[in-house]
Amino acid sequence: MNPQLEGVEKLKGTYPFDVRKSYKARKLNRFLWNLRLPEYRAPFVADEAAACDAAGLSDYEKNLVLKRDWLAMIKYGVPMFLIEKIARVLKITNMQIYAIFRGESYEDFLKTRRVPSAA
Amino acid sequence: MARIIGGIGTSHVPTIGVAYDKKKDNDPAWAPMFKGYVPAARWLAEKKPDVVVIFFNDHASSFFFDLYPTFAVGVAEEFEVADEGAGKRPFPPIKGSFELAAHLAEQLVNDEFDIATFYDHPLDHGVFSPLPLLLPHEPQWPAALLPIMVNVIQHPMPSARRCYKLGQAVKRAIESYPEDLTVAIVGTGGLSHQVHGERAGFNNEEWDQEFLDLFVDDPERILNMKLADLVRLGGAEGAEIIMWMAMRGALPERIRCLHRSYYLATSTPFAVALYEGADEAAKAVAAE
Repeated sequence: MNPQLEGVEKLKGTYPFDVRKSYKARKLNRFLWNLRLPEYRAPFVADEAAACDAAGLSDYEKNLVLKRDWLAMIKYGVPMFLIEKIARVLKITNMQIYAIFRGESYEDFLKTRRVPSAA
Repeated sequence: MARIIGGIGTSHVPTIGVAYDKKKDNDPAWAPMFKGYVPAARWLAEKKPDVVVIFFNDHASSFFFDLYPTFAVGVAEEFEVADEGAGKRPFPPIKGSFELAAHLAEQLVNDEFDIATFYDHPLDHGVFSPLPLLLPHEPQWPAALLPIMVNVIQHPMPSARRCYKLGQAVKRAIESYPEDLTVAIVGTGGLSHQVHGERAGFNNEEWDQEFLDLFVDDPERILNMKLADLVRLGGAEGAEIIMWMAMRGALPERIRCLHRSYYLATSTPFAVALYEGADEAAKAVAAE
């Protein structure tokens, strides 16, 4: 147990990204990381499944991508900062993803914000 | 001798950059954010530091987890802006403070801070979301940048106390540099927010305001906290305020807050704060 994180498991809805998850999810994470480069973006947009296969993703990992299962990605070991990379390709905002994490519609999530017009 | 003239704390939310690029300074929903930067930008324009040291984190834009440094100092003649997937923002590269950075690396390692060094790693919104609001940049940035990256995205991350000690070591290293350079220290990140899981969207203004109070008057209270405490109080990603603690370590023990603003609109508060050593600030007041 990481001494700095003692007690963090009591927090609901919080999944610290650590070296164990990082290693387990390394292929998926590198795949997402590469999407910040145009030469990886184009083949992904052309054929998502083929791009996943070319990156050697497992069936489980490939499904996370194809089904846009952001919360399951987080639990599996993808940090939000790599979800951001695919979100930019898919033209989805971070705020929209936060709503999905929370199981809320985007409109309902915005109602919980102090200045929704800034979104 | 090089000397530190003050510190700035700032959030580094990517939407700051989006609002800046879309020139939303007159949009009522964004104006308070822009206004918060004005006193810090004015201070920098008046003081004209030769070098800006910035404690920042990369967001898996330039660095990948196959080799992820806990602390890394940028030793390069210039730094590019990273393309984070939405295209590169139109800023000129910023020049590095090469000799001071090399000196810093040598001094830190000799001082038992085994820091990594990097070049050819473009800097992402960890630096470039707040920087254009702090410094002019057309046609060029007026100061050199000395970036120090801190791992705040993959555990194990350094503790608040470790970051503070890094700041102290950075101060010693800067003050041992023979050239007469003035240096401003920027700590980025926070304040309370969480960007993942069902707890995404978490904020805690009460803690944020307490943090900003303790930062000046009783940093030891923050340094005694574990990362788990910071995650509980400020959200998982809110723990990145440890980079403010690195800046705090590089400032004198007694500091004075010259400006403090806080604006929470959607998911992460925009906080800006400006500090000088209490004794220097008192001297400046006496001189007026």
